[in-house]
Amino acid sequence: MLNKTFTLLATLMTFCASAFAEEIPISGSVESKCIVTQDTAGVYGNASPETLSTATADGGVHPVVRFDVIQADYYMAKISHPTSFTESPNLSDTVTWTGTTSVDQVSDAAMSAYDTNKVEYDNVTEVDLSIAGSTWFKIESEADYGYNKAFPGGQYQAVVTAECIAI
Amino acid sequence: MKYIIFLLTMMSGQALLAHDFTPTYPKLETTHQSGVLKASMKLFNKRDDIRYYRVGVYDSEWNKIPFIVSGGKTINVEYLDTKRFDVYIQESRRRDITYICTKSLTLQDGSTKSIMASRICSKVK
Repeated sequence: MLNKTFTLLATLMTFCASAFAEEIPISGSVESKCIVTQDTAGVYGNASPETLSTATADGGVHPVVRFDVIQADYYMAKISHPTSFTESPNLSDTVTWTGTTSVDQVSDAAMSAYDTNKVEYDNVTEVDLSIAGSTWFKIESEADYGYNKAFPGGQYQAVVTAECIAI
Repeated sequence: MKYIIFLLTMMSGQALLAHDFTPTYPKLETTHQSGVLKASMKLFNKRDDIRYYRVGVYDSEWNKIPFIVSGGKTINVEYLDTKRFDVYIQESRRRDITYICTKSLTLQDGSTKSIMASRICSKVK
């Protein structure tokens, strides 16, 4: 009789242990957020002596930044293309900066409207992220030195600023 | 389908250089110190090229508002680490405070690559 009770208890405890082992909770929450990701680091090409450009034709690489938003209409993307070097040799003449920001890839076809709805001023492009999902923005940047003057040799670096601002 | 693509994108290994700052709309709470309010924020660093972020607090016109951050205004967050911190402001500036931002601090490493500075701003409503 006692042996049967022990056997029953042992069996029950085994089942209970199995049940506990199977129930491993994974908790999480989805909240409104924006994630800014550097997708591609840009590179300035120097196809002609007086120009540094991210254009492929000039041997450069356009930087690409990705914005992920969980919910629509919570954030605005603000992207600024460079207007100065953060690192360069001593430059005695002026540098003329040009640049544009455009939609490169989208996770939702309707996001292609961002290109027509974007607001541009100075070196800034603003886009209301009105659709949930991921948008890749391509930034084109070009620096021209003096009047057809060759850039001095050395290291050059400029910064693209990608901002995600709650609205 | 678009949500699946989005989720796959979010979960994919491509997101190696991401900056994540929440909550979107922080609430100002009272503290044990009278006349001082705080907002609790969370910063997740998924940028392996960035170790430091600078906190900024602004009004609706992007004028700076004085504030104090637990641990300092420049925050060291290692790659794939999460840092929770409190932003303290004077209660008298409650109506002015609009944005709480974190901006990545980039180091000059001598390469010719165009690097990206990321800034995410939450809005106090």
